[in-house]
Amino acid sequence: MPLGPKSSAINISGTTVTDSSPNVPRTPTNITIHPVALFSILDHYLRRTDAQDRVIGTLLGTRHDNEVEVRSSFAVLHSETDEQVAVDMDYHRTMYELHHKVNPKEVIVGWYSTGSNLNTYSALIQNFYSQETGPHQAIHVSINTGVEEGQEAGVRAYISSPVGINPKPENCVFVPVPVELRFHDAERSGLDLLVNTASEPTSTSSQPVADLEIIERAILSVSDMLDRVLTYVRAVLSGEKKGDPAIGRYLMDTLGASTDDLEKGGFNTSLQDTLMISYLANLVRAQAEVSSRLALTVAS
Amino acid sequence: MAATSMAAALAASLPVPSATAAAPAPTYEAIPASMAKVIDIEADIPLASVQLDALVVTKIIKHAREAPSSTAHGLLLGLDLDGILEVSNSFPLPQHVGDEDDKSSKSSARHQASMLRSLKEVQADDSVIGFYQATTLGAFFNQALVDTQAIHQDKLRHGGIVIVHDLSQTARGNASFHAYRLTAAFLDAYKKTNFSTTSLMSHRLTFSSILEEVPLKIRTNPLLSAFLGQLAEPSKDSPSSATIGGSPTSGLGPSFSVLDLGTGGVTRNLEQIVEAVDNYRTEEGNLSYMSRQIARERAKAENYVAKRKEENAGRVAQGLAPLPEEDVSRLFKIPAEPSRLESLLLLGQIDAYGKSLAGSASMGLVKMYAANSGSDV
Repeated sequence: MPLGPKSSAINISGTTVTDSSPNVPRTPTNITIHPVALFSILDHYLRRTDAQDRVIGTLLGTRHDNEVEVRSSFAVLHSETDEQVAVDMDYHRTMYELHHKVNPKEVIVGWYSTGSNLNTYSALIQNFYSQETGPHQAIHVSINTGVEEGQEAGVRAYISSPVGINPKPENCVFVPVPVELRFHDAERSGLDLLVNTASEPTSTSSQPVADLEIIERAILSVSDMLDRVLTYVRAVLSGEKKGDPAIGRYLMDTLGASTDDLEKGGFNTSLQDTLMISYLANLVRAQAEVSSRLALTVAS
Repeated sequence: MAATSMAAALAASLPVPSATAAAPAPTYEAIPASMAKVIDIEADIPLASVQLDALVVTKIIKHAREAPSSTAHGLLLGLDLDGILEVSNSFPLPQHVGDEDDKSSKSSARHQASMLRSLKEVQADDSVIGFYQATTLGAFFNQALVDTQAIHQDKLRHGGIVIVHDLSQTARGNASFHAYRLTAAFLDAYKKTNFSTTSLMSHRLTFSSILEEVPLKIRTNPLLSAFLGQLAEPSKDSPSSATIGGSPTSGLGPSFSVLDLGTGGVTRNLEQIVEAVDNYRTEEGNLSYMSRQIARERAKAENYVAKRKEENAGRVAQGLAPLPEEDVSRLFKIPAEPSRLESLLLLGQIDAYGKSLAGSASMGLVKMYAANSGSDV
């Protein structure tokens, strides 16, 4: 899914198809970010010192063909003054080794910073990270946390290319690259939980949530959608609205799903199976309970 | 076995209402009155609940999913404030490689220390308050968890907690986190490393009284709430919502994995129950073998003592000096009573598997009836 406001930038993808030699690293044309990386960056931003205007850190992830997948991130110490910028390279190395030990698949793919301004220092840091990620290109993800007035929160990603007749490290063009949020399906429920938590007035929610509650929520939302579709279809039928063929197609595909296997015999068989499993599970639990109590008696 | 004694033992084993009365309100002098109630240097305020930060939630889920085995574990960092343990960060620990136990524990300790140092430098919390453990199908009882938590409960402020994350339940659409700590009774028995039957009886230990659950809350900080709100905001240019009308849907898009009728996990769950029951049978066999051995040795020793007494009585009657009563324990080695901890933990596993199976079966029933009533119309 997209992250942040749409940009009008043209995303130039290189001659990817004709890339003949496999040794030449390809230019990333798509960047995906895992929520963990994003949340770590936000947490780092919250914990910055008063003197810091922005925070930077390293992005870890994997590369496939033209896609860079950012899987996690860690904070890096740096200082910016009017005269100079310094990045704690020892720190960066140590942290990378620590992360690498736990998750050897993730390698350095680039760096992040908060705030959306790109300046000379950005180019210098980009130059440093390019050496770390070589021969691949380093990516830069800039996160606008949206705390300053008039700015919308969002994420942008860039790759760099040198500019000028004599390329200098402090000169470079940041080329925007499309970026989106990606996570595994199994992690979806975690994100749902957080979104629900965030919409609570107190920003807290208690665990565990009963399964039934979640099912109820899902069914209510399905029934809500059905109502919306029904109103739309009625409006089209009565001629109030002009029907959209694309929507009609989607509706047919979605509602055409059959529940044949559940009907008649199928339902009863699986009902029996499920009841049997439920019975079995309760039996096992009862036996375990009795067994644990019996262990407390003395055979004398 | 006398029926009365068994009934008494059963009654004794029933869980007693946790009567952990709140400690009397501590008094402070140096801390300003406004903060006196919430800051406790001596860790006197008992933990009432655990608060899990959104960052930790995602970190645990990611680590649990990506770890090659189901034993992903890591450390939790945070602070406690007024009885609420705030977990604000976490980091994964490297997997233990079976052999070279000593070496791996040393390198793990080094890993921890240098990670903590590094986190401190970027103003993150660096006090360890417990650890997390991923599990599948609810069965998380094992020796390693108990051992680690026992060490933590000894060393850490407030004893530390363990957060258990159930991977299979999260995949089914309900992200579940539980916080646990060891009960005082179990810890006492553990410290004495005595899990004989009598010790279990005096501590009233069953598998359900090894751990006590601590209430858990999830929290998102305001910045993250705002960002999530931004993410979940509907995109304006989605064609369908504009045409169909009504309230626009969330930008994240709905997910209905919870409504999936598939019962694929049930087979695995059943297999695991069978496996756990098998393990338990083996363990019980071992235990009963050992107790038979103890009984045999004991009978031998008693026989010997009785014989010696008889002989002595005979000798006294004949007017001879009685033979000295020897130390029986040196002649016969009566083995120590076997530890029942392993079988206790296995029972706990069986129960947890059974619980998760019962849960998924009842959910399946609900979904089946829902689908059926839907298709009838």
